[in-house]
Amino acid sequence: MESDHETLLKCRELTVRFGEVTALQDVDVSLEANRIHAVVGQNGAGKTTFARVVAGLVRPDKGEVRMNGSAIAPGNVAASRHSGIELVHQSFALPPSFTVAEAMQFGADGGGLYSRSALERRWQSHLDKLDIQVKAGQRIRDLPIESQQAVEIARALVSDAKLLILDEPTAVLSPEGAARLFDQVRHLRDRGVTVVLILHKIREVLAVAETVTVLRGGLCVAGPLETAQIDSERLSELIIGSSSDELDDEDRAALTGAATPAHLHAAQTSEGIPVLELKNVSTRRDSDGPGLDSIELSIRPGEIVGIAGVEGNGQRTLVRTIAGLSHVSEGTVGLNGSDVTQQSLADRRSAGLRIIPFERNVEGLSLNSPLWENWSALGLLRKPLFAMISPGGFRRDCIGALESWDVVYADINQRAGSLSGGNAQKLILSREIDEAAKLVIAAQPTRGLDIGATAFVWDALRAARARGCGILFVSSDLDEIFDISDRVAVMVSGHIQAVFEPPFEIGRVGAAMTGAVQ
Amino acid sequence: MESILSGLRAAVFIVIALLLCGVIFEIAGYSAPLMFESILDGAFLRRGALEQALRWALPLFITALGVVISFRAGYFNIGGQGQFYMGAIAAAFVAEWLKGSPAALVIPACFVAGMAGGALWALWPGILRIKSGADEVITTLMGNFIAAFVLVYVTAGPLKDPSGSGQQASSRPLDAAYRISNSLGLSPTIIIIAVLAGVLVWALLNRTSFGILAGLSGRNPTMVEWQGARVWRIGLASFLISGALAGLAGTIELMGPNGRLAGGFLPGHGFTAILIALVANLSVLGTAVAALFFGGLASAALFLPILAGLPSAAIDIINAAISLFITAKSGFIDRVARLGKGQWTKS
Repeated sequence: MESDHETLLKCRELTVRFGEVTALQDVDVSLEANRIHAVVGQNGAGKTTFARVVAGLVRPDKGEVRMNGSAIAPGNVAASRHSGIELVHQSFALPPSFTVAEAMQFGADGGGLYSRSALERRWQSHLDKLDIQVKAGQRIRDLPIESQQAVEIARALVSDAKLLILDEPTAVLSPEGAARLFDQVRHLRDRGVTVVLILHKIREVLAVAETVTVLRGGLCVAGPLETAQIDSERLSELIIGSSSDELDDEDRAALTGAATPAHLHAAQTSEGIPVLELKNVSTRRDSDGPGLDSIELSIRPGEIVGIAGVEGNGQRTLVRTIAGLSHVSEGTVGLNGSDVTQQSLADRRSAGLRIIPFERNVEGLSLNSPLWENWSALGLLRKPLFAMISPGGFRRDCIGALESWDVVYADINQRAGSLSGGNAQKLILSREIDEAAKLVIAAQPTRGLDIGATAFVWDALRAARARGCGILFVSSDLDEIFDISDRVAVMVSGHIQAVFEPPFEIGRVGAAMTGAVQ
Repeated sequence: MESILSGLRAAVFIVIALLLCGVIFEIAGYSAPLMFESILDGAFLRRGALEQALRWALPLFITALGVVISFRAGYFNIGGQGQFYMGAIAAAFVAEWLKGSPAALVIPACFVAGMAGGALWALWPGILRIKSGADEVITTLMGNFIAAFVLVYVTAGPLKDPSGSGQQASSRPLDAAYRISNSLGLSPTIIIIAVLAGVLVWALLNRTSFGILAGLSGRNPTMVEWQGARVWRIGLASFLISGALAGLAGTIELMGPNGRLAGGFLPGHGFTAILIALVANLSVLGTAVAALFFGGLASAALFLPILAGLPSAAIDIINAAISLFITAKSGFIDRVARLGKGQWTKS
C-alpha cells in the first residue's frame, strides 16, 4: 500500500516559537502524493501554525520543508506557491463587492486590461472544470458561505497546485455542507491534487481522510496513520492525551467529535417563571446579518438552551437583542416574567442578565486596561457616576474572585491583554457568573480555548445551571451543544427553524441547519 | 514603575528635541550653549524667574488637566483654546454686569460663569460627537476659530474700552477689587485654585466610578457598553469637565494677570496644554511637572532676546520641536517594542 505513493511533502524538525510560547516543536511529517491527509488536534495544538509554515507564511525557527525532495526557502510564500502549495485560510479574504471572476482574477495575476465578459468566460470555465456551481458574474457578498469557500478553493487551484491545504474548512459549514465539501475534496484527489485538511473532529477525519496526523501541544504525537487502521477511541486518546483524565466520556467525545454524545442528564428543569421569554421578536437586518424573524424562545431556570446554526444566521443579533443593544421592531423581550423590551442593558443587568459575549477581546475586555478595572466594571456601574469608590476594595475583591476562578496572572494591575485566551475567558466568567445572575448568555464561550479551559467553561456553566440560572448557549459546534444543552434550537436566517429535545440526532439537527423543514 | 518609565521616556524625547534645536541655532549662527544657559536662567534661576514660570505654569496646568480627562475618556478635545477664551469672555461679561457689587459676590460669580462658559463651548462638540458621530477633532478645532472671532467681537463691541487707542482692541479693565492677582500674575488665590484643581481631578480620575469607567471606555467603549454603561453619559461628562477646566484657566488669566480681555490674547495656550498632557502621558502628577517645564520656557522667552540675542520666537520653535517628538514617540516606541516579538497567530 505504502509503496503505491511517492512522498510529496516532507517536513523535518519544524520548530516555531512565538515569544515564550512554543507553537511547534521538532515536527516531522511526511505526506504521500495523491491522497487526502488530515491534521488534527485541539485548539493551541499547532495545526494552523503547521499549515502556515508549510505555506510559507510563518518562518520556522528551525527545520525545513521539502516538496518532491527539494527544500523550499523557509518563510517565503512565493517560493511555497511556486512549488505548488496553496493554503485556504480559516476565514476567507474575498472582497465582498467583487464578482467571483474579479476576485479570481485579482488572486491570479492582478494586472492587465480585460473586458468583463472575457473575464467571466475565463473563470466560468475554470469553475466548471472543478464542478463548482457558482456563476462567475455573481458578487461575493451574495454568495452563501459554502460557495464562498468553493470560490476560495477554486482560486487556490488557479495555478498548478499540487498540494492544497484547507485550514478548518468545516468550521463554517453545516454537516451537509461539510459532506459536500468532502465530495469536492475526493474529486480533487482524483484529479491528482494532494489535499491536507486541518480538522478537529474525529468524525470528519474518519469520513474523508486516508491518513491522519495528530498534533498536541506543538508536538507531533502520531505520524501519518492510516485511518483504515485506527478507531475513534484511539484517535481521541491521541488528541486529548492523558493529561485530562478527569474528563468524563461525554465531554471527551464532545471535545474530539468522536461520536454524537448520548445526552444522559435528564431535563431537571423546574416549572418556574421563565428567566427569558421572547415573544414574536423581530428586528431589522443589519451589518451583523439577517434580522430576527418572529423568534419565540423561552428558557426556564436551571435549563441550558443551545442555539445551533451556521454562523451568520442571526445569532449575534439574537444576543444583542436580549442585551437591549438592538432595536426590536416587533414583539416583546421578557426577563424573569417582566417585560423589558423598552429597558436599557443596565436595567436588564440589574434584573440578573449576564453576558459572555462573542468577541472576548472587544466586547468582553478592555485589553489595555488593568485586570482589576476590567473585573470591576460591572460593580462600578451599579454606583452613581460620580460616587467616591475605593480602588483598594475593588482590587481585593478582584483578587479573591480571580483566585476562586483559578485565573493565572502575575499582577492585578497587568493589562487584560496579557492573559492567555483561557484565563481571559475565566476573568469574564468570574465577573459575569455571580450570585445575582439569573440568565447567562454564553456566546461561543469556548472558541479558541484549549481542552482544559473548554472543560472549565462547561463546568462553570453546569454549576450555574445547578444553582438555578437559565443559560443561553450559542455555538457553531454541534458536539459541544449536544453535550451541554437540555434543549437545542436551530437558527436559520434569523428564524428558529426547529427545536430539539434530547436525545439529539446529528442528522436531524444538521438537516434543520440547512433550512430543511423537519 | 510604569509611570516613572514613561516619564523618563518623555524626558529623553524632550532632551533630544532641545539638542536638535541647539544644532539648528548653532548652524543659524547663534551660540547653542549660551541659548541653553539663558533658557535655564530665564526659566528658573534668575531672580523672579521661578515666579514667572509659575505664573505661566498654573493656568496651563489647569487647562492641561481638562485635556487629560477628555483624552483618557477617548475623546480628542483639542478645543482647549476656544474653551479658554469662552470662559474668559463669560467671566468678563459677569464682571461687567455685576459691576459695583462686593468682590465676595463678583469673584465667585465670575468663576462659575467662566467654568460654565468653557463647559458650554465643549458641550456642542460633545453632543455632535455622541449623537451623530461628528469627529470632535474637527468640531473642537473649528470651535477655537469661532471663539477667537467672538473674542475679537466682544473686545471691539460690547465690552470695548473706549479709552483704548492701541492697535489691539481690548475690553474695559476690571475693577482692582475684582482682581485676584497683580499683573505679574502670581498670588496665593491662584496657587490654591490650581492645587485644588489638581487634587480634585486626581481624585476624580482615581477615586470615582467615573474615572475608572472613563479610562475603560477610552480604551474600549464597546466593552463598557456591553457592561451596561450609557457610554454617552461618560463621554459628555468628560467633555463638560474638560471645557470647564479650560474656562477656569481663562477666568484666572482674566481676573489675575491680564485684568481685561484683549483680542487674540495668549493664542498658544490651548495647544501648549495639549502638549503638556501628552508629555505627561495623561497623568495628573506628570501634568504638574510638565506644566512647570513649559511655564519655565514661557518665562525664558522674555529673557532670550536680552541674554542670547535670540528672538523670543525661538521658544516657539523649541515647543514645536518637542511636540513633534512627543507626538511621534508613541507610534515609534510601539514599533520598536513590536520588533522581534513576532506575530502571535491562532493555531
